[in-house]
Amino acid sequence: MYKSAHFSEYNAVNGVWDEMYSDNSSIRDHYQRVIEYLSKESTDNLNKKEDLARRLFMTQGITFTVYNSGEGIEKIFPFDIIPRIITASEWNFVEKGIKQRLTALNLFLKDVYHNQFIIKDGIVPIDVIYSCPHFLREMYQVDVPHDIYVHIAGIDLIRDEHGAFYVLEDNLRTPSGVSYMLENREITKRLFPDLLPQCNVRSVTEYPTILYKNLLALSPRQISNPTIVLLSPGIYNSAYFEHTTLARLMGVELVEGRDLVVNNHKVYMKTTTGLQQVDVIYRRVDDEYLDPLVFNPTSVLGVAGLMSAYRKGNVAIVNAIGNGVADDKAIYSYVPDMIKYYLNEEPLLKNVPTYQLRNADEREFTFANINSMVVKKTNGSGGYGMLMGHAADEQEIEDYKKEILKDPRNFIAQPTISLSAAPCYIQGMLQPRRIDLRPYALCGPDGIEIVPGGLTRVALKEGSLVVNSSQGGGSKDTWVLA
Amino acid sequence: MLSRVAASFYWLSRYIERSDGILRMMKINYNSSQDAVREFTWEPVIRIYSGVDQELMRTLDNDSRSVLTYMVNDKSNPNSIINMITLARENARSVQEHITRDLWQCLNEYYHCVKDDGLVPRLQNEDPITALDTLIRQIMLYYGTAEVTMERGQGRSFMNIGKYLERSIQAVDLLDVKFGSVTDNPDLLTDTTYWKHLLQSIGGYELYLKTYRDGIEAQSVMELIILNTDFPRSVIYSVNNIHRYYERLKNESNLSSYRDIAFQIGKLQSYIQYSSAESIRQIGLHKFLTQIKHDLFAIGISLNEHYFANS
Repeated sequence: MYKSAHFSEYNAVNGVWDEMYSDNSSIRDHYQRVIEYLSKESTDNLNKKEDLARRLFMTQGITFTVYNSGEGIEKIFPFDIIPRIITASEWNFVEKGIKQRLTALNLFLKDVYHNQFIIKDGIVPIDVIYSCPHFLREMYQVDVPHDIYVHIAGIDLIRDEHGAFYVLEDNLRTPSGVSYMLENREITKRLFPDLLPQCNVRSVTEYPTILYKNLLALSPRQISNPTIVLLSPGIYNSAYFEHTTLARLMGVELVEGRDLVVNNHKVYMKTTTGLQQVDVIYRRVDDEYLDPLVFNPTSVLGVAGLMSAYRKGNVAIVNAIGNGVADDKAIYSYVPDMIKYYLNEEPLLKNVPTYQLRNADEREFTFANINSMVVKKTNGSGGYGMLMGHAADEQEIEDYKKEILKDPRNFIAQPTISLSAAPCYIQGMLQPRRIDLRPYALCGPDGIEIVPGGLTRVALKEGSLVVNSSQGGGSKDTWVLA
Repeated sequence: MLSRVAASFYWLSRYIERSDGILRMMKINYNSSQDAVREFTWEPVIRIYSGVDQELMRTLDNDSRSVLTYMVNDKSNPNSIINMITLARENARSVQEHITRDLWQCLNEYYHCVKDDGLVPRLQNEDPITALDTLIRQIMLYYGTAEVTMERGQGRSFMNIGKYLERSIQAVDLLDVKFGSVTDNPDLLTDTTYWKHLLQSIGGYELYLKTYRDGIEAQSVMELIILNTDFPRSVIYSVNNIHRYYERLKNESNLSSYRDIAFQIGKLQSYIQYSSAESIRQIGLHKFLTQIKHDLFAIGISLNEHYFANS
């Protein structure tokens, strides 16, 4: 064991997979070098590094805005300086698993908006699909370029007490957080000089290049220099920093709804020299707000007539509209069946067992075992509206049950999975905190590519299992070793 | 370039330039309030940036510290530094991928500097000039960074048009107010301290001493601020630069829009260029300045219509 003060207190949590310790005393091989490096640093030095990281985030404006009583307060997404490390073999497995899953999900979306074989063959019940608010009839029989619906996926993975990877959620609409994958790496380079090459860490910088290449390939006009734009809700959106970062790294125009106009089923942007036709839109605006003529009529974030241009094939939209039907939490439990149905393969990544509360017997089972369950809304996100059975009191549970009975379709339950833990530098000491992993998969005409890395989110509160940034979560740099 | 982006560039630099003008004005006025033999008044400054507001004058009560706090940190004052930098930063944020990272960080630092909790106590209890200097320094850093890092493209042209338009409007306002006070109080005409402070607050005192050897006279002050082509804060210098940077937009413009505004700028430029201290005196300074201001506003409105897609 290393003797430095900041290591003495590390006590791996019982019954939880620890990324660093294989048992309570021996450090896994892939963490050896980092721990060696850290043990030579004094606590004082590490505190300085932590402080430097905070300042770098602040002066670079890598912040998100929380609106409180009319005044925007800028916060940084808490960053933990100790990297999360993934071995080459773990990564190979994850990569294969995500590619398989994403291939099936793309086929599912094509199918569900065209022939609906999967419904006719009785694999997914028709009512689950038609009751999903994100299943858009406006997309029925709309052909999308190369039959790709999910161009960018941020599939959330967690590890159980044996270290097995589970998919927690498929984020197939507008997954965010990739800028933190890129920025966290840049910060780590500054914090720990020379450590990255010593450890053989694979680079993540290719992400914007690959994304740009994929966007370029989608242009409906066969011209040498198509116009690609990133559509953002604007500076008040909490992910605005990410939008500008991606636009800058790809060299594409960042637009807002008011910069675009549709004429004769074509999309144009207003420039200082007049209107310029737009070919590909990487949108970070939700389906609901994209076109006030078709969806939410009060939305000013989108563009009137966009849907008609899309249906005509005059503009490509990334990700496709209507993807929400595939990452709905009620449909999630059918993904393993989809993989078998479309690909005739066994799923590599496991699904967390999921109980559909619309089924009376599964609902009763859930109610009986509610203390060991997590109940979620099927269309919720960001960790809002969840019930953590082990932490809730009687009254909360009773209230939540009433809520469920009003509309059981909107709820699912999953057994509480105890997320894996990784060392974090907290108050001058290494302490275990729970983490998840969101790799970013890019799907283009040439296939699926996953940049070796991702966003590791960490629940910074001791014992907490919720990693969402809105609920006190932070992030870590994520290393994939070569 | 997107119309919205062009507009943001333009407003970003208008706000920065205005905050620069305000800070320099504050600094010099505070300084002169310290050696005023006669009763010193903040009234002209407040009139330039907040209009005529008797109620406000009463609240501030000509107290230097309250005026400073009002002009720097009061959110209810649309032209306070804090509001200027917030607006400048929001404009910059919405064009973040068009400006260099260095420039963005510069603005961010300026913003955090103004937001710093220690600023108001320093303005109120310590030497306010030190506090104002730290802010002025941030703006100089901003201008230096913009000069060194920004690509020489459309964006920079819109930035510079905004900057010089704002600067010329400020120079015109300052002259108008300061000479206006003379009408009410003819004694000021021969008060050299009065003119010295005017020159200092626009940064032209040293150049004046080099140019005019026979002491400070109102007529020469006016000439320097309007007609001296080497003085970077003169009206003619600013208008020449509006012309210069507007010309660069020619190849990226719709031709009829370009001609329309080029005509307006050219006409204004000639009007000032072919004036002399004597001809201005004959027209009447106030009338002359009002004409210039009208033309400058008209240019702003035309830019809005033709380039920023806000008609």
